[in-house]
Amino acid sequence: MHIPDGFLSPGVWGSAWIFSAGVIGFCVKKTKQILKDRMVPLMGVMSAFIFAAQMLNFPVLGGTSGHLLGGVLAAVLLGPYAAAIVITVVLITQCLIFQDGGLTALGANILNMSFLGAMGGYFIYNILRRTLGGVKGIMTGTAVAAWSSVIIAASACAVELALSGTTPLSVALPVMAFVHMFIGIGEAIITCLVVGFVLRVRPDLIYTKEK
Amino acid sequence: MRHVYLDQYSQISSPLNRLSPIFKVVTFVTVVLFIVLTRPGSFFAFSLYGLLMAVLVLLSRVPVIFILKRSLLVIPFVLAIAAFNLFSSHGGIQLFLSILIKSCMSIVCLILLVATTRFSELLKAFEKLGCPKIITMIMSFMYRYIFVIEDELMKMKQAKESRSVGGSGFFHAKALANMLGTLFIRSYERAEAVYLAMCARGFDGDVKK
Repeated sequence: MHIPDGFLSPGVWGSAWIFSAGVIGFCVKKTKQILKDRMVPLMGVMSAFIFAAQMLNFPVLGGTSGHLLGGVLAAVLLGPYAAAIVITVVLITQCLIFQDGGLTALGANILNMSFLGAMGGYFIYNILRRTLGGVKGIMTGTAVAAWSSVIIAASACAVELALSGTTPLSVALPVMAFVHMFIGIGEAIITCLVVGFVLRVRPDLIYTKEK
Repeated sequence: MRHVYLDQYSQISSPLNRLSPIFKVVTFVTVVLFIVLTRPGSFFAFSLYGLLMAVLVLLSRVPVIFILKRSLLVIPFVLAIAAFNLFSSHGGIQLFLSILIKSCMSIVCLILLVATTRFSELLKAFEKLGCPKIITMIMSFMYRYIFVIEDELMKMKQAKESRSVGGSGFFHAKALANMLGTLFIRSYERAEAVYLAMCARGFDGDVKK
Protein backbone atom coordinates (compact mmCIF):
# COMPACT_ATOMS: atom_id res chain seq x y z
CA MET A 1 0.00 0.00 0.00
CA HIS A 2 3.06 2.26 0.26
CA ILE A 3 3.14 4.31 -2.94
CA PRO A 4 6.64 4.39 -4.48
CA ASP A 5 8.18 7.34 -6.32
CA GLY A 6 7.16 7.95 -9.90
CA PHE A 7 3.52 6.94 -9.63
CA LEU A 8 1.96 10.25 -8.63
CA SER A 9 1.78 13.44 -10.65
CA PRO A 10 3.48 16.54 -9.18
CA GLY A 11 0.10 18.13 -8.45
CA VAL A 12 -1.05 15.16 -6.42
CA TRP A 13 2.09 14.51 -4.42
CA GLY A 14 2.72 18.23 -3.94
CA SER A 15 -0.70 18.90 -2.46
CA ALA A 16 -0.54 15.70 -0.39
CA TRP A 17 2.76 16.91 1.08
CA ILE A 18 1.31 20.31 1.99
CA PHE A 19 -1.81 18.79 3.51
CA SER A 20 0.12 16.17 5.50
CA ALA A 21 2.59 18.74 6.80
CA GLY A 22 -0.34 20.78 8.09
CA VAL A 23 -2.00 17.78 9.75
CA ILE A 24 1.22 16.67 11.42
CA GLY A 25 1.92 20.20 12.61
CA PHE A 26 -1.52 20.28 14.23
CA CYS A 27 -1.03 16.82 15.78
CA VAL A 28 2.36 17.79 17.22
CA LYS A 29 0.75 20.83 18.84
CA LYS A 30 -2.13 18.78 20.30
CA THR A 31 0.13 15.99 21.58
CA LYS A 32 2.48 18.46 23.19
CA GLN A 33 -0.44 19.90 25.17
CA ILE A 34 -1.31 16.45 26.52
CA LEU A 35 2.11 14.87 27.03
CA LYS A 36 4.31 17.99 27.58
CA ASP A 37 7.99 17.06 27.74
CA ARG A 38 7.21 13.33 28.02
CA MET A 39 6.30 13.53 24.36
CA VAL A 40 9.69 12.96 22.73
CA PRO A 41 10.75 9.78 24.58
CA LEU A 42 7.23 8.33 24.58
CA MET A 43 6.60 8.93 20.87
CA GLY A 44 10.08 7.66 20.00
CA VAL A 45 9.75 4.40 21.90
CA MET A 46 6.15 3.88 20.70
CA SER A 47 7.24 4.38 17.09
CA ALA A 48 9.91 1.75 17.63
CA PHE A 49 7.21 -0.53 19.08
CA ILE A 50 4.93 -0.16 16.03
CA PHE A 51 7.93 -0.63 13.77
CA ALA A 52 8.85 -3.87 15.57
CA ALA A 53 5.22 -5.01 15.69
CA GLN A 54 4.98 -4.69 11.92
CA MET A 55 7.83 -7.15 11.56
CA LEU A 56 6.04 -9.97 13.36
CA ASN A 57 4.43 -12.29 10.84
CA PHE A 58 1.06 -13.80 11.62
CA PRO A 59 -0.16 -17.00 9.98
CA VAL A 60 -3.08 -16.27 7.68
CA LEU A 61 -5.42 -18.75 6.01
CA GLY A 62 -3.82 -21.07 3.49
CA GLY A 63 -0.24 -20.89 4.71
CA THR A 64 0.40 -17.27 3.80
CA SER A 65 1.39 -14.74 6.40
CA GLY A 66 0.64 -11.13 6.98
CA HIS A 67 1.67 -8.46 9.39
CA LEU A 68 -0.04 -5.80 11.42
CA LEU A 69 -0.27 -2.26 10.04
CA GLY A 70 -0.94 -0.82 13.46
CA GLY A 71 -2.73 2.45 12.66
CA VAL A 72 -5.85 1.70 14.68
CA LEU A 73 -3.86 -0.15 17.36
CA ALA A 74 -1.80 3.00 17.92
CA ALA A 75 -4.94 5.17 17.88
CA VAL A 76 -6.79 3.03 20.46
CA LEU A 77 -3.78 2.91 22.77
CA LEU A 78 -2.35 6.41 22.34
CA GLY A 79 -5.18 8.57 20.99
CA PRO A 80 -5.63 9.99 17.49
CA TYR A 81 -3.03 12.77 17.52
CA ALA A 82 -0.19 10.77 19.04
CA ALA A 83 -1.03 7.83 16.77
CA ALA A 84 -0.79 10.04 13.69
CA ILE A 85 2.68 11.17 14.77
CA VAL A 86 3.81 7.61 15.54
CA ILE A 87 2.59 6.28 12.19
CA THR A 88 4.15 9.24 10.37
CA VAL A 89 7.52 8.64 12.01
CA VAL A 90 7.29 4.94 11.12
CA LEU A 91 6.47 5.85 7.51
CA ILE A 92 9.42 8.26 7.27
CA THR A 93 11.74 5.62 8.67
CA GLN A 94 10.41 2.95 6.32
CA CYS A 95 10.87 5.31 3.39
CA LEU A 96 14.47 6.07 4.38
CA ILE A 97 15.59 2.67 5.58
CA PHE A 98 13.69 0.14 3.47
CA GLN A 99 12.77 2.46 0.56
CA ASP A 100 9.25 1.25 1.26
CA GLY A 101 7.24 4.16 -0.11
CA GLY A 102 8.87 6.92 -2.13
CA LEU A 103 10.26 10.25 -1.00
CA THR A 104 7.97 12.36 -3.16
CA ALA A 105 5.05 10.04 -2.37
CA LEU A 106 5.70 10.30 1.38
CA GLY A 107 3.11 13.06 1.76
CA ALA A 108 0.48 10.88 0.12
CA ASN A 109 1.45 7.89 2.23
CA ILE A 110 1.17 10.00 5.40
CA LEU A 111 -2.22 11.24 4.21
CA ASN A 112 -3.46 7.68 3.57
CA MET A 113 -2.12 5.89 6.60
CA SER A 114 -1.66 8.51 9.33
CA PHE A 115 -4.54 10.85 8.63
CA LEU A 116 -7.16 8.61 7.01
CA GLY A 117 -5.93 5.33 8.53
CA ALA A 118 -5.07 6.18 12.12
CA MET A 119 -7.09 9.38 12.76
CA GLY A 120 -10.00 8.28 10.59
CA GLY A 121 -9.91 4.88 12.28
CA TYR A 122 -10.04 6.54 15.68
CA PHE A 123 -13.06 8.57 14.59
CA ILE A 124 -14.95 5.35 13.74
CA TYR A 125 -13.74 3.64 16.92
CA ASN A 126 -14.81 6.55 19.07
CA ILE A 127 -18.35 6.65 17.71
CA LEU A 128 -18.86 2.92 18.35
CA ARG A 129 -17.21 3.05 21.76
CA ARG A 130 -19.50 5.89 22.85
CA THR A 131 -22.73 4.36 21.54
CA LEU A 132 -22.12 0.81 22.79
CA GLY A 133 -20.08 1.69 25.88
CA GLY A 134 -17.87 -0.45 28.09
CA VAL A 135 -15.63 -3.30 27.00
CA LYS A 136 -18.08 -4.31 24.29
CA GLY A 137 -17.85 -0.82 22.80
CA ILE A 138 -14.07 -0.81 22.84
CA MET A 139 -13.78 -4.23 21.20
CA THR A 140 -16.46 -3.65 18.55
CA GLY A 141 -15.08 -0.21 17.83
CA THR A 142 -11.56 -1.59 17.47
CA ALA A 143 -12.64 -4.37 15.11
CA VAL A 144 -14.75 -2.17 12.83
CA ALA A 145 -12.22 0.67 12.85
CA ALA A 146 -9.27 -1.63 12.07
CA TRP A 147 -11.13 -3.28 9.20
CA SER A 148 -12.39 -0.07 7.65
CA SER A 149 -9.14 1.89 8.15
CA VAL A 150 -7.31 -0.58 5.91
CA ILE A 151 -9.95 -0.28 3.19
CA ILE A 152 -10.11 3.52 3.47
CA ALA A 153 -6.34 3.83 3.17
CA ALA A 154 -6.21 1.46 0.17
CA SER A 155 -9.08 3.25 -1.58
CA ALA A 156 -7.42 6.62 -1.00
CA CYS A 157 -4.27 5.18 -2.55
CA ALA A 158 -6.28 4.07 -5.61
CA VAL A 159 -7.91 7.50 -5.92
CA GLU A 160 -4.53 9.27 -5.75
CA LEU A 161 -3.13 6.97 -8.45
CA ALA A 162 -6.16 7.69 -10.61
CA LEU A 163 -5.92 11.46 -10.05
CA SER A 164 -2.34 11.28 -11.28
CA GLY A 165 -3.65 9.96 -14.58
CA THR A 166 -1.51 6.83 -14.59
CA THR A 167 -4.16 4.35 -13.50
CA PRO A 168 -7.81 4.09 -14.46
CA LEU A 169 -10.01 4.41 -11.37
CA SER A 170 -12.40 1.77 -12.65
CA VAL A 171 -9.65 -0.84 -12.33
CA ALA A 172 -7.62 0.34 -9.34
CA LEU A 173 -10.41 1.17 -6.88
CA PRO A 174 -12.35 -2.12 -7.02
CA VAL A 175 -9.17 -4.23 -7.00
CA MET A 176 -7.57 -2.33 -4.12
CA ALA A 177 -10.77 -2.26 -2.05
CA PHE A 178 -11.51 -5.93 -2.70
CA VAL A 179 -8.01 -7.18 -1.82
CA HIS A 180 -7.91 -5.05 1.31
CA MET A 181 -11.26 -6.33 2.50
CA PHE A 182 -9.42 -9.56 3.29
CA ILE A 183 -6.27 -7.90 4.58
CA GLY A 184 -8.58 -5.84 6.81
CA ILE A 185 -10.02 -8.97 8.43
CA GLY A 186 -6.54 -10.02 9.53
CA GLU A 187 -5.84 -6.51 10.76
CA ALA A 188 -9.09 -6.45 12.74
CA ILE A 189 -8.43 -9.83 14.38
CA ILE A 190 -4.86 -9.01 15.41
CA THR A 191 -5.73 -5.51 16.61
CA CYS A 192 -8.63 -6.89 18.68
CA LEU A 193 -6.48 -9.59 20.24
CA VAL A 194 -3.77 -7.09 21.20
CA VAL A 195 -6.25 -4.51 22.51
CA GLY A 196 -8.10 -7.27 24.38
CA PHE A 197 -4.87 -8.33 26.04
CA VAL A 198 -3.96 -4.79 27.10
CA LEU A 199 -7.53 -4.28 28.33
CA ARG A 200 -7.21 -7.30 30.62
CA VAL A 201 -3.70 -6.57 31.87
CA ARG A 202 -3.29 -2.79 31.91
CA PRO A 203 -6.69 -1.22 31.16
CA ASP A 204 -5.29 2.14 32.29
CA LEU A 205 -3.12 2.26 29.16
CA ILE A 206 -6.11 2.39 26.78
CA TYR A 207 -6.51 5.99 25.64
CA THR A 208 -9.46 7.90 27.03
CA LYS A 209 -10.03 11.55 26.45
CA GLU A 210 -10.50 12.33 30.13
CA LYS A 211 -7.00 11.18 31.07
CA MET B 1 20.72 -11.03 18.91
CA ARG B 2 21.69 -10.12 15.39
CA HIS B 3 20.22 -7.22 13.50
CA VAL B 4 20.67 -5.96 10.03
CA TYR B 5 22.61 -2.78 10.42
CA LEU B 6 20.89 -0.11 8.49
CA ASP B 7 23.81 2.16 7.74
CA GLN B 8 26.41 -0.57 7.58
CA TYR B 9 28.48 1.11 4.84
CA SER B 10 28.53 4.52 6.48
CA GLN B 11 31.95 3.86 8.01
CA ILE B 12 33.87 2.88 4.86
CA SER B 13 35.93 5.57 3.22
CA SER B 14 34.68 6.53 -0.21
CA PRO B 15 34.30 9.80 -2.09
CA LEU B 16 30.55 9.70 -1.44
CA ASN B 17 30.94 9.06 2.29
CA ARG B 18 33.24 12.02 2.75
CA LEU B 19 30.78 14.55 1.32
CA SER B 20 28.90 16.63 3.85
CA PRO B 21 25.53 15.07 4.73
CA ILE B 22 23.61 18.27 3.89
CA PHE B 23 25.16 18.40 0.43
CA LYS B 24 24.36 14.73 -0.09
CA VAL B 25 20.73 15.09 1.03
CA VAL B 26 20.18 18.11 -1.23
CA THR B 27 21.84 16.41 -4.21
CA PHE B 28 20.03 13.10 -3.86
CA VAL B 29 16.64 14.74 -3.29
CA THR B 30 17.24 16.88 -6.41
CA VAL B 31 18.17 13.80 -8.42
CA VAL B 32 15.00 12.02 -7.23
CA LEU B 33 12.95 15.09 -8.18
CA PHE B 34 14.49 15.16 -11.65
CA ILE B 35 13.78 11.46 -12.12
CA VAL B 36 10.19 11.78 -10.91
CA LEU B 37 9.47 14.87 -13.00
CA THR B 38 10.79 13.38 -16.26
CA ARG B 39 8.06 12.84 -18.85
CA PRO B 40 7.10 9.17 -19.23
CA GLY B 41 8.57 7.71 -22.39
CA SER B 42 11.73 9.84 -22.55
CA PHE B 43 14.00 6.84 -22.52
CA PHE B 44 17.04 8.92 -23.55
CA ALA B 45 16.82 10.85 -20.28
CA PHE B 46 16.39 7.59 -18.39
CA SER B 47 19.56 6.15 -19.84
CA LEU B 48 21.44 9.31 -18.79
CA TYR B 49 20.09 8.88 -15.25
CA GLY B 50 21.13 5.24 -15.40
CA LEU B 51 24.67 6.35 -16.24
CA LEU B 52 24.62 8.82 -13.35
CA MET B 53 23.44 6.06 -11.00
CA ALA B 54 26.26 3.78 -12.15
CA VAL B 55 28.83 6.53 -11.47
CA LEU B 56 27.34 7.20 -8.04
CA VAL B 57 27.37 3.50 -7.15
CA LEU B 58 31.03 3.31 -8.13
CA LEU B 59 31.86 6.44 -6.13
CA SER B 60 30.05 5.13 -3.07
CA ARG B 61 31.96 1.81 -3.03
CA VAL B 62 28.82 0.15 -1.70
CA PRO B 63 28.77 -3.45 -3.02
CA VAL B 64 26.41 -3.78 -5.97
CA ILE B 65 25.04 -7.01 -4.53
CA PHE B 66 23.92 -5.11 -1.40
CA ILE B 67 22.04 -2.57 -3.54
CA LEU B 68 20.45 -5.37 -5.56
CA LYS B 69 19.38 -7.25 -2.44
CA ARG B 70 17.87 -4.14 -0.89
CA SER B 71 16.01 -3.20 -4.08
CA LEU B 72 14.66 -6.71 -4.47
CA LEU B 73 12.87 -6.27 -1.13
CA VAL B 74 10.67 -3.47 -2.50
CA ILE B 75 10.44 -4.13 -6.21
CA PRO B 76 7.67 -6.78 -5.94
CA PHE B 77 5.45 -4.13 -4.31
CA VAL B 78 6.35 -1.60 -6.99
CA LEU B 79 5.46 -4.16 -9.67
CA ALA B 80 2.12 -4.87 -8.02
CA ILE B 81 1.10 -1.20 -8.17
CA ALA B 82 2.65 -0.68 -11.60
CA ALA B 83 0.53 -3.53 -13.00
CA PHE B 84 -2.48 -1.18 -12.82
CA ASN B 85 -0.80 1.05 -15.45
CA LEU B 86 -1.14 -1.67 -18.05
CA PHE B 87 -4.88 -0.99 -18.01
CA SER B 88 -4.34 2.68 -18.81
CA SER B 89 -6.01 3.85 -22.01
CA HIS B 90 -3.03 5.69 -23.49
CA GLY B 91 0.28 3.84 -23.97
CA GLY B 92 -0.06 1.23 -21.25
CA ILE B 93 3.24 -0.61 -21.79
CA GLN B 94 5.29 2.54 -22.25
CA LEU B 95 3.80 4.09 -19.12
CA PHE B 96 4.35 0.88 -17.20
CA LEU B 97 8.04 0.74 -18.18
CA SER B 98 8.65 4.45 -17.54
CA ILE B 99 7.13 4.32 -14.08
CA LEU B 100 8.99 1.15 -13.22
CA ILE B 101 12.30 2.71 -14.27
CA LYS B 102 11.56 5.90 -12.34
CA SER B 103 10.69 3.98 -9.17
CA CYS B 104 13.70 1.72 -9.34
CA MET B 105 16.09 4.63 -9.89
CA SER B 106 14.62 6.61 -7.02
CA ILE B 107 14.97 3.53 -4.83
CA VAL B 108 18.65 3.13 -5.78
CA CYS B 109 19.18 6.84 -5.02
CA LEU B 110 17.72 6.50 -1.54
CA ILE B 111 19.63 3.28 -0.86
CA LEU B 112 22.88 5.07 -1.75
CA LEU B 113 22.07 8.08 0.41
CA VAL B 114 21.13 6.05 3.47
CA ALA B 115 23.86 3.45 3.06
CA THR B 116 26.64 6.02 2.92
CA THR B 117 25.44 8.38 5.64
CA ARG B 118 25.19 7.69 9.34
CA PHE B 119 21.57 7.88 10.46
CA SER B 120 22.29 10.52 13.11
CA GLU B 121 24.09 12.66 10.53
CA LEU B 122 21.18 12.23 8.14
CA LEU B 123 18.74 13.45 10.79
CA LYS B 124 20.99 16.42 11.59
CA ALA B 125 21.05 17.32 7.89
CA PHE B 126 17.25 17.11 7.68
CA GLU B 127 16.97 19.35 10.71
CA LYS B 128 19.32 21.94 9.20
CA LEU B 129 17.27 21.84 6.01
CA GLY B 130 14.10 22.82 7.87
CA CYS B 131 12.57 19.57 9.12
CA PRO B 132 10.91 20.34 12.49
CA LYS B 133 13.21 19.51 15.41
CA ILE B 134 10.51 17.62 17.26
CA ILE B 135 10.22 15.10 14.41
CA THR B 136 13.98 14.56 14.12
CA MET B 137 14.21 14.19 17.91
CA ILE B 138 11.47 11.53 17.91
CA MET B 139 13.16 9.80 14.99
CA SER B 140 16.52 9.65 16.70
CA PHE B 141 14.84 8.15 19.77
CA MET B 142 13.06 5.66 17.61
CA TYR B 143 16.25 4.68 15.85
CA ARG B 144 17.91 4.08 19.22
CA TYR B 145 15.08 1.92 20.53
CA ILE B 146 14.26 -0.09 17.40
CA PHE B 147 17.15 -2.37 18.25
CA VAL B 148 16.20 -2.72 21.92
CA ILE B 149 12.55 -3.47 21.22
CA GLU B 150 13.24 -5.73 18.29
CA ASP B 151 15.59 -7.67 20.52
CA GLU B 152 12.89 -8.06 23.13
CA LEU B 153 10.41 -9.26 20.51
CA MET B 154 12.87 -11.77 19.09
CA LYS B 155 13.60 -13.16 22.54
CA MET B 156 9.89 -13.53 23.27
CA LYS B 157 9.39 -15.24 19.95
CA GLN B 158 12.26 -17.61 20.56
CA ALA B 159 10.90 -18.47 24.00
CA LYS B 160 7.46 -19.10 22.56
CA GLU B 161 8.78 -21.26 19.76
CA SER B 162 10.89 -23.37 22.09
CA ARG B 163 7.78 -24.10 24.12
CA SER B 164 5.20 -24.64 21.40
CA VAL B 165 7.29 -25.72 18.39
CA GLY B 166 5.63 -23.90 15.56
CA GLY B 167 1.93 -24.17 16.13
CA SER B 168 -0.76 -22.94 13.86
CA GLY B 169 -4.26 -21.58 13.64
CA PHE B 170 -6.11 -19.26 15.95
CA PHE B 171 -4.31 -20.37 19.11
CA HIS B 172 -0.98 -19.47 17.54
CA ALA B 173 -2.26 -16.09 16.41
CA LYS B 174 -3.57 -15.45 19.90
CA ALA B 175 -0.21 -16.26 21.47
CA LEU B 176 1.51 -13.90 19.04
CA ALA B 177 -1.03 -11.15 19.75
CA ASN B 178 -0.53 -11.55 23.49
CA MET B 179 3.16 -11.21 22.79
CA LEU B 180 2.55 -7.91 21.03
CA GLY B 181 0.38 -6.78 23.94
CA THR B 182 3.15 -7.59 26.38
CA LEU B 183 5.63 -5.85 24.12
CA PHE B 184 3.45 -2.74 24.10
CA ILE B 185 3.21 -2.66 27.90
CA ARG B 186 6.94 -3.22 28.29
CA SER B 187 7.72 -0.55 25.70
CA TYR B 188 5.40 1.92 27.40
CA GLU B 189 6.99 1.26 30.78
CA ARG B 190 10.41 1.55 29.21
CA ALA B 191 9.47 4.91 27.73
CA GLU B 192 8.35 6.13 31.16
CA ALA B 193 11.61 4.91 32.71
CA VAL B 194 13.61 6.59 29.95
CA TYR B 195 11.73 9.83 30.51
CA LEU B 196 12.36 9.74 34.27
CA ALA B 197 16.03 8.99 33.70
CA MET B 198 16.20 11.95 31.32
CA CYS B 199 14.50 14.20 33.88
CA ALA B 200 17.01 13.12 36.49
CA ARG B 201 19.72 14.33 34.13
CA GLY B 202 18.14 17.73 33.63
CA PHE B 203 15.92 17.18 30.55
CA ASP B 204 13.41 19.96 30.07
CA GLY B 205 11.85 19.04 26.74
CA ASP B 206 14.80 19.95 24.57
CA VAL B 207 17.94 18.04 23.65
CA LYS B 208 20.96 20.26 24.03
CA LYS B 209 24.00 20.12 21.85
